[in-house]
Amino acid sequence: MHALVAQTLQVRALRNLSAVDLEPGPRFNVISGDNGHGKTSLLEALYLVATTRSFRTSKLGELAPTGAPGATTSVRARIDDGISVHEQSVGLLGARRSVKFDGVRPAKLAQYASATPVVVFSPSELGLSMGPGSERRKLLDRVALYSGLGALEASESFSRASRERQRALETRGISARDLPQWEALIVQHGLGLMHARAASAERLAAAATAAFEGIAAPGLSAAFVYAPSAPTGAEAYLRALESMRTRDLARGSASVGPHRDDLAVTLGQIAARHVASQGQHRAIVLSLKIAEIDVVSRARQARPILLLDDVSSELDRSRTSALFALLGEQEGQVFLTTTRPELLDADWRGHASSATRRDFVIEGGVIRAR
Amino acid sequence: MRTRRIVSLLARLPGVGEKTAQRYLLFLATADPAIARDLGLELAQLSEHVRPCERCGNLAETENAGVGAICEICSDAKRDASLLCVVGRVHDLIAIERSGAMRGRYFVLGRLLSPLEGVGPEDLPIGALVDRIREDGVTEIILATPPSVDGEATALLLKRDLAELGVRMSRIASGVPHGGDLEFADPITMGRAFFGRQNM
Ligand SMILES: Nc1ncnc2c1ncn2[C@@H]1O[C@H](COP(=O)(O)OP(=O)(O)OP(=O)(O)O)[C@@H](O)[C@H]1O
Ligand SMILES: [Mg+2]
Ligand SMILES: [Zn+2]
Repeated sequence: MHALVAQTLQVRALRNLSAVDLEPGPRFNVISGDNGHGKTSLLEALYLVATTRSFRTSKLGELAPTGAPGATTSVRARIDDGISVHEQSVGLLGARRSVKFDGVRPAKLAQYASATPVVVFSPSELGLSMGPGSERRKLLDRVALYSGLGALEASESFSRASRERQRALETRGISARDLPQWEALIVQHGLGLMHARAASAERLAAAATAAFEGIAAPGLSAAFVYAPSAPTGAEAYLRALESMRTRDLARGSASVGPHRDDLAVTLGQIAARHVASQGQHRAIVLSLKIAEIDVVSRARQARPILLLDDVSSELDRSRTSALFALLGEQEGQVFLTTTRPELLDADWRGHASSATRRDFVIEGGVIRAR
Repeated sequence: MRTRRIVSLLARLPGVGEKTAQRYLLFLATADPAIARDLGLELAQLSEHVRPCERCGNLAETENAGVGAICEICSDAKRDASLLCVVGRVHDLIAIERSGAMRGRYFVLGRLLSPLEGVGPEDLPIGALVDRIREDGVTEIILATPPSVDGEATALLLKRDLAELGVRMSRIASGVPHGGDLEFADPITMGRAFFGRQNM
């Protein structure tokens, strides 16, 4: 299986990074630096150019450097996908996002956003186990995107139709003449999204359950099941929307639908959110991330680029060790950030040779080789 | 200043920014003066002689100011009057014409259903469309609004509102990229979308 490799990365005006030009190695890239010097921002830049999104925020406007108003944020990368080398770039100007693939605007955003699979592992992802459904929905959608399940188009159309219905309710009330049309489209695209998510959940569940067994205490098993919010039949879904117009108007959004889906995680039949210990939460998160890497690799027949932000600060010793064992087998490109490279050195021994590792230091948004 | 004024007028055209407007002005001021003069004369009379067609909303020309304009397609006797294609905007009509797939006539809605953009069912010219269908004895309607969410909703609404007229209705196939724009579809894709249309 070949691997996706970012050969160059060029960042301009993104948070505290004014100009970064990086030539990463094909395997491990360790980026060290003190708190607040730009480690996460660098990973964010790479994620942005690969996916057109940020893993930290849904508001891309936040990436514009506060110190330089009017500056154009842009990230460019040359990527070897194992078959050929291409260039991707994303520019942000205010709320506008311009993306180019080999210098050309892609016909569909999904084409661009799925070309270079990336998997992130950051401290905030502990929410995958402890937090609300939103993080788990995003996981399902990322997997669906890379698996070519048409989830992005379905999701965009679903949310447009939902907002149109909501506005019709607000401006013309629950008997507005066009509600049946918007509701029909919500159901059409909502079911499309739900099918994609069910397929991704099924793929993730098998891999995550297996991974969990390898990490957690013996005898403890975890289950992962897609829990759609809306009825899965078109007729029933349509009737649900119709009957809940008054309530949805008051709530400000639909009471049922894919925007409220979840991937239910249970430990011995009980919802993990309520019973899992800290260590078990971490094991669940790690299992889901391992499953994500596994499913995306298999779907694309290529190793995704891994971005590990501040990993050793979040995981305990044995889990860090499990992660490094996995990274050793991965044979893909990995970016790792840390405030304490010396701690990493200890984990490194026995898993990966130093010849495959390239070290960088970031200080005040400026990066140099260590 | 005269140059400033012209640049700011040019910059109001779609797709033309300050820089391009400046380039146009420079060209017009230094090239053969006949170009600027002819352009000026034509533009001065544009609103009198080029107007939306009274019957379909397409661009139409007329020599007599003040008299209703009828476009070339509506006045072409070889066009099949019983076949009517409903589009969102004139751009879409032009894209379909370029594909050569349409032998009937058109009706331009001028907008798509979109509460988010302040367009409700009452803001669509459905009454005028019904009149047109009755007057021309239309027997088949092709709904060619774009394959976006708003375009689909518009088509669904028209399907319901026109049902009682008992005419055959079809929807262009979604060969055009989903969420896409008809305008950017090439003639071959457009032709395919047209011939692959589905009964509704
Ligand atoms: N929009 C912005 N414009 C300018 N600077 C920003 C912006 N957003 C964040 N920063 C600053 O950029 C710096 C780098 O942030 P970043 O999150 O990348 O640091 P980090 O190296 O990952 O730190 P930590 O180790 O604490 O996670 C911080 O000082 C932060 O306050
Ligand atoms: Mg950080
Ligand atoms: Zn006409």
